[in-house]
Amino acid sequence: MKNNENKVALVTGGAKGIGRAVVERFREEGMTVLACGRSARPADLDKAIDWHCVDVANLEAVEALRDAIKKKYDQLDVLVNNAGIQIEKTVLDSTDEDWDLLMGVNAKGVFYCCRSFMPLMIANGGGSIINIGSISARAADPEMALYNASKAFVHGLTRSIAVDHGKQGIRCNAICPGWILTGLADAAFELASDPVAAKKDALARHYIGRFGQPRDVANMALWLASDDASYATGQMFTVDGGLTAASPVNPGLF
Amino acid sequence: MSNNQLEGKIALITGGRGGIGRGICERFSTEGATVYAADLAKGEGEMPSRVQYESLDVTSESNVHSLMAKIESEQGKLDIVVNTAAIEIEKTIEDTSLQEWNNIFSINVTGTFLVSKYAIPLLRKADGGSIVNFGSYDGFIADPGLSAYCATKGAIHALTKAMACDYGPEGIRVNAICPGYIDTPMLQSFFGESGDIESLKEEVRNIHPIRRYGTPKDIAGLVAWLSGSEAGYATGQLWVLDGGLSAQAQQMRL
Repeated sequence: MKNNENKVALVTGGAKGIGRAVVERFREEGMTVLACGRSARPADLDKAIDWHCVDVANLEAVEALRDAIKKKYDQLDVLVNNAGIQIEKTVLDSTDEDWDLLMGVNAKGVFYCCRSFMPLMIANGGGSIINIGSISARAADPEMALYNASKAFVHGLTRSIAVDHGKQGIRCNAICPGWILTGLADAAFELASDPVAAKKDALARHYIGRFGQPRDVANMALWLASDDASYATGQMFTVDGGLTAASPVNPGLF
Repeated sequence: MSNNQLEGKIALITGGRGGIGRGICERFSTEGATVYAADLAKGEGEMPSRVQYESLDVTSESNVHSLMAKIESEQGKLDIVVNTAAIEIEKTIEDTSLQEWNNIFSINVTGTFLVSKYAIPLLRKADGGSIVNFGSYDGFIADPGLSAYCATKGAIHALTKAMACDYGPEGIRVNAICPGYIDTPMLQSFFGESGDIESLKEEVRNIHPIRRYGTPKDIAGLVAWLSGSEAGYATGQLWVLDGGLSAQAQQMRL
């Protein structure tokens, strides 16, 4: 087992939102952090972060990143599969292009990263894979059909990796964030007929009295990355301010 | 993660001299908390620093009440409650007497109710409180011959979510940890006289994707995380910690 300071971590989708918070949290703990995303290196990213421009849906790019990590560090202890996109459509409205784009990143990208990076983790005695799942994989968010389904895929893959590779020292868990204030959540509110009322209603359903922040998810990721979590595997850990603990039928809100 | 995450925190741990309880007391001590380890008996062994033994029968309302009065007079507040006290009865319902049924419910469920009920006013005096209950893997999936125990743990799961809804608005978070097979005196008792104990243990280890069963230290790592500020958005959840056991479908011996 290693202290956090000796760990090398890769965070996909690390430019903004939850991914960026994970990158910063890991860096605060002294980890060596690599981050990737489809865009160029964010201008305000800490100089210590090793940034790579990678689309996780592109196998060649993922494998090139693997080769680069192997060459430079020959080690990977933590993989955070955070890259994800959201398309607000029903099945009837979803096109083949929507499917390829969303499943390419949210499903195939997670598969590619796990398959490409796991051998490097196993070669060094194992590691922790942290996938970003969703509460929407268990109970559907309306008009988010492909997104909901892609997150259910992530949950299934998480359990499979935990079961198949636990004996090789791999732990694999998913974090299911509730409503975290990121660009994705704002986009969902904008769809409402009255975005202000929608936000007020949503807040009342968070029994802790606030929406989540990317850092709340990053804190959980840090715990799962640490040796404190060495018995935690194959689980979906929800961090949602109490949202899914309660029934949606809340007479106080009607 | 750095030590002293619970510096200045006042914690009450029921069942604090049992297998898991001792692990939590040790961890809390290294994290800088002041700990009341409450149990029916002090038992053998030294207490870690800043851990104080208190005699407590969690089924006795007057007993619980006077312990809270004592903590209030000594500390003026309580930040953390960990409801660990529990027993197990290895019987089917036909073999369980009404007295045994009432006894296990009074310790596992009523005890958690009473301790939480009288701790809430003290938790309000802290800057955000945390209650960690003990559910179980057995609250989701039954172990044979353990019916009353399974039922008490299911009750704890529901109570945890209900308490999270009711007290979230006051900044009090409520979660439950659901351990799988943890190496404690209770597990030894469950294995009982089952033939060759060493080969049985080996078999149990091999069923786990992570190839070992858990330790009180594993549990304590999650209790410490849930009780600290890093988990500020985590509430109303059941945190399964089982080495991947429940992620894996039952294996047929073909």
